[in-house]
Amino acid sequence: MTYQIADEPVETSLRSYVVRPGMPLLASMFAGAWLAWPWFAFNAIAMGSPTRRKEIALCAAAFAGTAALGATVIALFDAGVLPDGAPLRLAVLGVVTFKLAISYHIAAVQSRTFHVYEYYGGPVRNPGRLLGAAYLLRGLVIGLVDHPLWVIIVAGGLPRWHAGPWGW
Amino acid sequence: MEPRQIAVLLEQAEVQRRLGNHRGATELAQRALTLDPDHARSHAALAAILLDARRLAGAGIEARAALALDADDRYIHRVAAAVLAAERKLDDAWAHCLIALDGPAPAPEAFVLGARLRELAGDRAHARELLHEALAIDAAHVGALTQLARLELAGGARDEAARLIALALEADPANPGAHLAAGAIDLARGDAASAEVHARFVLAVDATDRDALALWAAVQARRSWLLGVWWRWTMWMSQRDDRRQIALLIGAFVVVRIAIIVTDELGLATVARILHLGWLGLCAYTWFAPALFRRMIARSLETVRLDPDF
Repeated sequence: MTYQIADEPVETSLRSYVVRPGMPLLASMFAGAWLAWPWFAFNAIAMGSPTRRKEIALCAAAFAGTAALGATVIALFDAGVLPDGAPLRLAVLGVVTFKLAISYHIAAVQSRTFHVYEYYGGPVRNPGRLLGAAYLLRGLVIGLVDHPLWVIIVAGGLPRWHAGPWGW
Repeated sequence: MEPRQIAVLLEQAEVQRRLGNHRGATELAQRALTLDPDHARSHAALAAILLDARRLAGAGIEARAALALDADDRYIHRVAAAVLAAERKLDDAWAHCLIALDGPAPAPEAFVLGARLRELAGDRAHARELLHEALAIDAAHVGALTQLARLELAGGARDEAARLIALALEADPANPGAHLAAGAIDLARGDAASAEVHARFVLAVDATDRDALALWAAVQARRSWLLGVWWRWTMWMSQRDDRRQIALLIGAFVVVRIAIIVTDELGLATVARILHLGWLGLCAYTWFAPALFRRMIARSLETVRLDPDF
């Protein structure tokens, strides 16, 4: 039994599904949070990350925080405090900024373990096809529920050019 | 039997660390800790190796474990100071460094570390003074000569830096740190070919050495302005911790998005569209440039051959 260093990932049966943390981050921008945050959580488990609990907690906090901020923006809009146009778009931008910031943070935390994982020769999958499919599917996922809060939570970090008031 | 075995393992680990073989050094320190998980010096040695391998989280845990087991060992304080410096906790690092320097006959390495901390605090004169103290103990101390050479280079004295690094390489021709400093000096003097030789030397020992890869990449960046721009941006960003990097990127995103929203609301749709496309172009560039860079380095590394005696 060799001494285990605290930052070393543990062996898992899901190692062949590990991707670079930059991939879920890219997914958060181009596909949406519906894919990115669960993917970050899965990647932490697959990698056997010693900080996986923290990473999963951050993913849960990302969903909860976005929901809380989104609900606040919608409530202010419904109450007439936040008028349509630039003020509403700027408020939604605030939520998008939160989503991007927390996604970057999760990616930064996961990268520390990933470097060690890669250092010991852990396999890394190229998820190009999955990313492409997710980009094409994002409209379908976002259209599953016809409510602005759903759109705010699951839409991507980079708004479309002709984005509606809720960022899609 | 065990203490002797542990001492031999740690000695071998230190030799491997100095050679830049982090993986081999880590395994040796791990073997020492397998024999005795409460051996403070083994924890400290492992922390020093992990720090060299840029595994900061592991280094921090090991350094704290060593301090908890033995708070009187000056070597452990020196390692703790180095780890804290990497964590950018400079005041705490300096406090541990002072303990490492306290008492009779401090190790030259403690002066070298102290010099690095003073340099990070912006006090180059004090840093130079500490390095001369290290050289007064050991005139051929490679770490002190290398650090002094880097200090002179930062101050613009390239010839003096070249003279000092030549002395360091004379004292230890296989020292990776001295080779990397020599490469940086050559690059500053416009001799990219010579800098590449130094990077190759270190990569032949460890093809994953990040500092050597950084030097190699800096040489390649001189050959392509498009990648050179990305490289300078990366170097500028890498001087900041994760939080600052994220804050800068998010800040830039927010500024551009606000500009797009405001111009769009003002009826300047064309300007808004140009800003939007420009931002997407920048995102694509920052995504593809490192991929191109990695491919270029991977292709170059195929020509690196290990020394048959390695």
